[in-house]
Amino acid sequence: MFDKKKVKKALRDFWYGKPHGERRLGDILEDKTGLYKHREWRGVKDTSYYFWNIWCYNYFQMVMDIMKNGGPIVFAKGLWRYRWVGQTYLPVLHWFDRGLQGLRGEAMKASAWHYRGMVATTIRQFQRMFVCDAKINGGKVNDEHEKTIAINETVWGGIFYPWDGKLVSVPMEMIPYFVTCHVNSHTVLNYIDAVQSIGLPGDPCPMCQAESGLFVLDDMPDYAKAMVTCNEACDASVATSILQDWFFDKPLFALPMPMQFDDPLVKENCMKEIEQCWRFIEQQYGVPFSWDKLKEKLEKQNELQRFEWEKWDVASHTKNYPINGVAQALYRIYQTQYGDWEIWHEVDKKVRKIMEKCVSKNIDTFPKTRHRVIAWSCAPLYYSNWCTWAYNCWGLNVVINMDSLMFDMTIRTDTYDHALEDMAQYHMWAPMRRMAVGGMNHIFELWENMEKFNCDMVAMYDQLQCKGMQGVHGLFEDEFRRRNIHAFWLPHALPDSRTVSRAEIRNAINDYMTTVMHEEPLDPSLLDFDDSMTW
Amino acid sequence: MKKCGCSLGKALLKLCLKLFGICFAALAVLFTIFFFDLDGKLLYYVVEPFLKKHYDDMERKDTLKDLYDVDKYPKREF
Repeated sequence: MFDKKKVKKALRDFWYGKPHGERRLGDILEDKTGLYKHREWRGVKDTSYYFWNIWCYNYFQMVMDIMKNGGPIVFAKGLWRYRWVGQTYLPVLHWFDRGLQGLRGEAMKASAWHYRGMVATTIRQFQRMFVCDAKINGGKVNDEHEKTIAINETVWGGIFYPWDGKLVSVPMEMIPYFVTCHVNSHTVLNYIDAVQSIGLPGDPCPMCQAESGLFVLDDMPDYAKAMVTCNEACDASVATSILQDWFFDKPLFALPMPMQFDDPLVKENCMKEIEQCWRFIEQQYGVPFSWDKLKEKLEKQNELQRFEWEKWDVASHTKNYPINGVAQALYRIYQTQYGDWEIWHEVDKKVRKIMEKCVSKNIDTFPKTRHRVIAWSCAPLYYSNWCTWAYNCWGLNVVINMDSLMFDMTIRTDTYDHALEDMAQYHMWAPMRRMAVGGMNHIFELWENMEKFNCDMVAMYDQLQCKGMQGVHGLFEDEFRRRNIHAFWLPHALPDSRTVSRAEIRNAINDYMTTVMHEEPLDPSLLDFDDSMTW
Repeated sequence: MKKCGCSLGKALLKLCLKLFGICFAALAVLFTIFFFDLDGKLLYYVVEPFLKKHYDDMERKDTLKDLYDVDKYPKREF
């Protein structure tokens, strides 16, 4: 009657958590909603850590961030006025859960720190928007409003370093659009539908659609005196800027990312445009350009880049890299695009400590890795945590991704000319420009990075509404065959989860892993489940 | 004096036990919320539908009625 072995096993599972392969993580999910019947039991030590140091700590820190940046009344006003904050950012801890599912030990800790950095930066930005917002302040334009610059989310925050401490740049779309898609994919659909309701066809990039839709629904705070837009590297987005110019109605400077960025003449022109942008800021805000501030901030940003290189070194040469695919991708693109800020340094300090521990003790952070994967092109925003699922289900460890590799440079600060030249380079290597629509040489940087990061498989994102990337689909197919590379395609429509569902994405990977690789899943409960209504 | 110290010690011990009890109970409640994803369920089934209804019912400006005046701001020279 009393099975000693079973009891011993149950006790071991309780204390250490079930080993990978016995977890059946699909069984703890509610049908359709993706909510948890109960959160994952990771053993006493890791569950305690997750509960106290991640769940409690982050809820507490979110409250503290709101208190530090404008306070709860400002937050409540913003929440009541804007759909994208109320509908999106309350379930943020669920976003952690989805990204960190199945992780243990140091990988769980380091990845969670990355999420913490992103949450702090997000709160900082939307609270600044609300503090300045004339719409929720009875139409009054306050001092903060007059010291804030609205920028397009793909304009690098570093362009505005010369005014650090005097002016604040806040991207228009990063928080109302980009981050929402990752946290709660329902919100963005309202904005896509809004812009189509005024006559835009459904086939352009849904990113441009959603960003314009924010303005169509009058859901953009009036938080800045002037704006700096760009072509968002993808030229479909030029239309977004026109709608923004119309609806936001502010003095505007357009700072485009050139297509042919390898051409030295183009670079020279780009340097001039950055200087023109600086003069625009001086004219609009009456605050002079400061070389000292620029230099100081660039040097701080270089520190972040140097640590990133150390991380890549560990990721490419060891099994000790403690950051999972989704945390790596989102943190890196957020940090490099937003620019230097103290929270990135705090997070990097914590992560360095964890990473050094992993290396010195030779901890295998993802022990069930069957394939080291590089993810290429633009990821599905509503399912950026697909790589967490892929590791749990198939042992596919996404070591690195294209977006992480875009801004692969430090910026010289010895002279003004060197700094300007490097800044132009950085600006031109924008998201969706450096590789995705940056021409043949750059999109095929995949091969050298695959080798550099010691990867044996490619997860190739297939953004169905990106005309640029659709144009090179066949070329990749040919190259994969010619080079005998295992690659699976991951179809998606960036923010729009209605075009390709998460289940369809999983099916595409399942099919490849069974029919081509002839492998068995590590966790069969994750093969097929319905999360069609999840955040 | 001895009696007084003893009763003070007892009172302190009682207070510590009480505090410990309160903290333990609070932690137990928090852990229950955490483990059974009650925060997620509350947000999904109650808060989000309520807020969605509020946002759907909100009166919004018809932005298309705004004039697109491209010459509103003076031409700049750099």
